[in-house]
Amino acid sequence: MDHLNITVNQGEIYGFLGRNGAGKTTTIRMLLGLIKPTSGQIEIFGENLFKNQKGILRRIGSMVEVPGFYENLTARENLLINAKIIGVHKKNAIEEALEIVDLHHETKKLVGKYSLGMKQRLGIARALLHYPELLILDEPTNGLDPIGIKEMRNLIQSLAKERNITIFVSSHILSEIEQLADHLGIIHEGKLLEETAFESLRKRNRKYLEFQVSNDNKAAMLLESHFGISDYEVHDEGNIRVYSHLGNQGKLNKVFVENDIEVLKIKVSEDNLEDYFTKLVGGGSIG
Amino acid sequence: MADLLFTELLKLKRSSMFLISILGAAVAPFVVVIATFIYEPSTPFGDLFYNVNLYTVLIIGVPLYGVVTTYLFNREYTENTLKNLLTIPVSRLSFIISKALMLFMWIMMLSIIAWGLTLFLGLLTQFDGLNSSLLLDSLKQFSTGGILLFILSSPIILVTLVMKNYVPTIIFTVVITLINVMAGNSEHRGLFPWAAAGDISNHTLPPTYPPEYSYIIIAATALIGFITMIVYFKKADIH
Repeated sequence: MDHLNITVNQGEIYGFLGRNGAGKTTTIRMLLGLIKPTSGQIEIFGENLFKNQKGILRRIGSMVEVPGFYENLTARENLLINAKIIGVHKKNAIEEALEIVDLHHETKKLVGKYSLGMKQRLGIARALLHYPELLILDEPTNGLDPIGIKEMRNLIQSLAKERNITIFVSSHILSEIEQLADHLGIIHEGKLLEETAFESLRKRNRKYLEFQVSNDNKAAMLLESHFGISDYEVHDEGNIRVYSHLGNQGKLNKVFVENDIEVLKIKVSEDNLEDYFTKLVGGGSIG
Repeated sequence: MADLLFTELLKLKRSSMFLISILGAAVAPFVVVIATFIYEPSTPFGDLFYNVNLYTVLIIGVPLYGVVTTYLFNREYTENTLKNLLTIPVSRLSFIISKALMLFMWIMMLSIIAWGLTLFLGLLTQFDGLNSSLLLDSLKQFSTGGILLFILSSPIILVTLVMKNYVPTIIFTVVITLINVMAGNSEHRGLFPWAAAGDISNHTLPPTYPPEYSYIIIAATALIGFITMIVYFKKADIH
């Protein structure tokens, strides 16, 4: 890892994206004190992790990769172990955590008989047991089927929205992070390449048609009156970006020309988020 | 620490290893008492206790308690639960100490079961010579054997923590047992910590060396194992 500085705003979901081996899990394990950096310091909540590891980790709930449980015990018994160690004194804390992840009906089933999806949900329940401010989830949808992935996504989103928990979630799947996160950090070979709000990234990477025309005002009027297009932007030097009617550049060009607008250049942007990510990390597929 | 110990006990709920270890501890009493009943029925009760303790400490105890040790420590790796516990967070030292306490309770329980079963089977087969003094002495001997084997478990814990697998621990304990057997008739056996533990518990240390030598060797083995184990576990990365 090389000088990572990650800013996660309170109450948001931060997607930590990177290819397999980029350093996501290593970063998370270091943040949680499971592995030690060869040099340097780690600060969380503005505090040095090594000076107050216990205090800092008590404010964090985590699930690193596939969560492990004592398979000879029930979900409640597994959570009781955590509750005893952390010192959770609230009587119904375990019940509450199980309700959040919808496992409160599984009273007698041993965790060894749980599906992977149930174990992942139980892992979240365990992470929530002590009411953390920050939830760190490492690849929480790994290995889940499509329904399981959707359920996990809904659960994570509801935790952020309804309980105002800040969530740091890693994944190597761009589409997954795209559907989940408010903010994105891209890591590659141990370095944070980009950190941005998803909304601005989406905007930056939308597909569009770009025309360079002699009269951008008139061209804009024609777009609205002839085609009913409102999703466009006028840039410098007569450049107009049209975000709809992709593939209709011929028709648009024809109307411009028929109305005495000189079209100097037509560019079809091909980039989407995936292309952007691929370019950023230096080619190859995502994970 | 009480909470940590409670969680260690809870982890054993419905665990088959608990029953397996009891069956393992029952082997020496069954074999010794039944074999003696068949071949030498006039043997005094005291010899039953002596032989069972001898076999428990020197032959059965090391591999059996080795497997128990590996189960207690290694399951946190195999069941992938260690990273959860350490991020709660639990102090690594407290974690090791609570596990060691659990191991001590388990070993002592198995020692007492072996003693109790010897007593029960001996009474059932009507051996002579049982009195309250023998009961107390034999209980002390079994307890001493258990305590010494627990103290000597630190190198075994270290092997478990480093190798994170049953196989190296089993090989290690089998080697110890083999040396115990080979050293059985040697006058120098007091210098091998596990063999010395058997002799100390049964009051049969050979006079070749002063008994302090055996105590020092046992203490040094245990202490070196314990310190190395703590240093290693505190520094080890958890993957």
